[in-house]
Amino acid sequence: MSRWEYFVKRLLLTVPVLFSVLTFLFIMLRAGPIDPVAARLGPQAGAADREQLRERLGLNDPLWEQYVDFITDFITFNFGQSWVVQAERDILDIAVNAAPATLWLGFWAILLPLFIGIPLGFYAGLNPNTLGDYAASLGGIVWQALPNFWLCVIALAVLRRTREGGELLGINWYTLGPDFAARNISITGTPRLEWISTTDVLMFPLPYINDWTALAIDIKLILPPALILGSASMAAELRIGRTAMLETVNSKFVETAKAKGLSDRVIVWKHIFRNALIPLLPVITSEAFLLIGGSVIVEQIFNINGLGRIFFQALTQGDLPMAGALLFLFTVIILGLNILQDFLYTVIDPRVGYDQ
Amino acid sequence: MPDPANGEAVESTSRRRLLGLLGGGAAVSLAGCSDQEPSDGSDGNDTDGEDGTDGEDGEDEPQRTNADKAQAAWERAVNNPLPEDEELRQEAYIEMEEAVRDDAAVIPLYHSLTERFWYDYVDVPLTGALGSHWQQLNTTTVEGQSELNLIASTFDELDPIMSTDTESSRVITQIYENLTSFPNGVPEVENQLLAEYEVSEDGTTWTFTLRDDVQFHDGTQMTAQDVKYSWRRTVESENSERAGFTLNQPVGLGIDAETDDDGNVVADSLAIEVVDDRTIEIQLVGPNPDVLDVIAYSSFSVIPEGYVGDIDGYDGEVTHQEFSTEVANGTGPFELDAFNVDEDVTVVRNDDYYGEVASVEAVNWEIIEDSQAQWTYALEQNADIFEMPTFAYEADAVDAEADDRGRQVGTYGPAGELNEEVNYVGVAEISTYYFAFNVSNTERAARQAIAYVMNKEQIVQEVFAGRGTAAYTFLPPAIWPTGNDGYNDFLDAYPYSLGESDIQGAQSVLEEAGITPDDPVDVTLTTYESEVFQTAGELIRDLISGTGINMSLETSQFSTLQSRGEDGDLQMYSLGWIWSWPAVPYGMFQLEPRNTDTSTMPTETNGFYLDWQTLLEEEAE
Repeated sequence: MSRWEYFVKRLLLTVPVLFSVLTFLFIMLRAGPIDPVAARLGPQAGAADREQLRERLGLNDPLWEQYVDFITDFITFNFGQSWVVQAERDILDIAVNAAPATLWLGFWAILLPLFIGIPLGFYAGLNPNTLGDYAASLGGIVWQALPNFWLCVIALAVLRRTREGGELLGINWYTLGPDFAARNISITGTPRLEWISTTDVLMFPLPYINDWTALAIDIKLILPPALILGSASMAAELRIGRTAMLETVNSKFVETAKAKGLSDRVIVWKHIFRNALIPLLPVITSEAFLLIGGSVIVEQIFNINGLGRIFFQALTQGDLPMAGALLFLFTVIILGLNILQDFLYTVIDPRVGYDQ
Repeated sequence: MPDPANGEAVESTSRRRLLGLLGGGAAVSLAGCSDQEPSDGSDGNDTDGEDGTDGEDGEDEPQRTNADKAQAAWERAVNNPLPEDEELRQEAYIEMEEAVRDDAAVIPLYHSLTERFWYDYVDVPLTGALGSHWQQLNTTTVEGQSELNLIASTFDELDPIMSTDTESSRVITQIYENLTSFPNGVPEVENQLLAEYEVSEDGTTWTFTLRDDVQFHDGTQMTAQDVKYSWRRTVESENSERAGFTLNQPVGLGIDAETDDDGNVVADSLAIEVVDDRTIEIQLVGPNPDVLDVIAYSSFSVIPEGYVGDIDGYDGEVTHQEFSTEVANGTGPFELDAFNVDEDVTVVRNDDYYGEVASVEAVNWEIIEDSQAQWTYALEQNADIFEMPTFAYEADAVDAEADDRGRQVGTYGPAGELNEEVNYVGVAEISTYYFAFNVSNTERAARQAIAYVMNKEQIVQEVFAGRGTAAYTFLPPAIWPTGNDGYNDFLDAYPYSLGESDIQGAQSVLEEAGITPDDPVDVTLTTYESEVFQTAGELIRDLISGTGINMSLETSQFSTLQSRGEDGDLQMYSLGWIWSWPAVPYGMFQLEPRNTDTSTMPTETNGFYLDWQTLLEEEAE
């Protein structure tokens, strides 16, 4: 079996996974403890209203028909309306409205640990049992142990104190870079993401950045929450990066490479680095999963109107279609990332997919 | 994850929604639950009720019971609704309070305290006991800024008839107006769109004459037809969550209307007659002394006739979905500019306002749920007026004195992270949080003993850092029928402990009833998920242990607690009541013994879950 056959096989395998998730959601929504009619109409509705809504929602149809409708609706991203959180608004609208903020947060939350955690881990792995290694490893463990909600609260408290004279290490976070104080911008809030436009190049809409200041403001706004959201994965990457590095450094092929007389630089970057990345890949891609869960708290405390906060509201207020739709979207995202992971495997590690 | 202050705030908003639902009438109940309680007094109020109260029946039998006293007082108040009977009603309500107190059926715990802070560059009128969401911001000025910036919590609609929470009211009050209002939330009703009114002799026909100089934001004149249309929407629209406030008495206006077989109001049958462009006449099912108070409630806001097509005979200029979040057309001092649900709301000045045109060009609310984010936003001076989370609050930093309305007015700070002195007002709200008992399964001595050991001041101190008012009466002091002096007299006569834990008192009342540590009774306290009540419950349990009461605590979800209450399946529980308008009966109706019958809840009765009717003389026989 070639690498690409393997990849296509993985791709096809996601289809049954998606269906089982949908079936699970269907059972949860239809057979769960919350009656959709009661949740939607509230307790004061009369029997006539209830019957009318049952009919309208198709709850009187045979179960298999409801199941087919449900699956087709979800696959075509036709999620219907929210019941409680933003009553009567289209769920897709709400999700599309909230998604950019979460994507922006997630993008930086993955990028930052990648460029801090992995280099630190590799450094520690290349210089094992030195002071630098100890400092990096210990720092990583402590950082991972700190809960996100606590970090959020402390970060906010520290940052807002830098505002008037209470500078931290001589840094006033408000005036650093784009000046928040002069613009009356809060260090909390939803990024506006209004710096991107598209221009048509040969009939192709090509995105470009039209307002660099707005971009800088949005980056500055998202940095603290992104750093916190990525903190756990950053520490994980550091530790796994260190172990992977150590293992690879001590393996036989490195010895051979050394014996061949390759320079240290080539050994590290061409041989060790690529091999050490393999165990890191699933860690990086599964971060997305952590980010979706973690963004609930970070978005709440930093007042970012994103998917995490809406998911939290939907769950706590019994908004079943909304929670179901978001769960479905999250599933699709995670499946997509799994496929991406497999794709990257086939690129980085030529051995993948070959018969064992 | 949410800290206490925020948790409480969120809770109180949602609680208000739920309490409102109860006030509106029906609520969900689990069918058939009474079958599961074969031996308890919850489903039958004949023989079981007698057993449960044997202890004191022996002494009380010659006189009427406290329940009888409360029932008689309530009936007296309801049967004498005319203005000249005011004094008689006041006495009756106080008699009900006495009966509740003496029977310890309900033990009030605290009235919530709202504290508001604003920077020195803002000049804003003091708010009153009804809450800051009643305040129209046209009289607020901000030095050196053209905008006023505030914080709100999440809400998702601007339709007045859907609004049941304080957060949406903050914005709705700026855009829409009523015939009457409580300016700045001070509980004294004043005319808003109303010029004058007349009442017929029997108190059932009210004639309202409207101001003639009022225009909607689109420039059309406001007329009596608009009022009729707006009020019809409150009962006919499927979006209305406040039909009860229009139709019911005494918990509402009680406008006459026809209903069909399903109990829905027949289209255009509401007894509102447009006499001419400026005059409407309403016909009530019975006299109602609180009409002017009730029509100030936001569901009675006036919108242009035919603006939304959700009632018979109108196609609507805008769809209801647009109306709830995108467009608005009222008569208020501000017009809706933009509403980004869960992010922010902006209203801009209405330059053609008939009253005082606003000094600020716009008001912006940033929607923030988390108290850390709120506090950050306030410290950055991005919010000009704000509330303070308990983690940042230092009681010593308040320097305030009581004014003639009992508000604490003064300054706060500099303290903690706040580097400057800010203005301060603290107001006890018209709300009461309480413990109550299903009296059919908890005997009176046990209830009284719990009242004896409960030190409300200590609980308020421990849980809110003193940011609350200990409650000794169900009616908050701000609307006490006989005023401040009368309230103090009532406190002087308070039989249980005032500001202390009277364990001696508890022991002696238990001993009299034959309850001793060797022969104890069990009491289960069910609280909803509230830090306040859970802490209070722990304090009470610790104090009462060893006196003959074994108290166990349990926590249940708010909705579960309500369902169980309606099934009579609670013993001691915690809940709260927030007045939507400052009228005594809007609150007291829940203490009418016959209205506390859980066996007919939620359809026929909608009082507290007390089963107090089991102690009525006739029922006990």
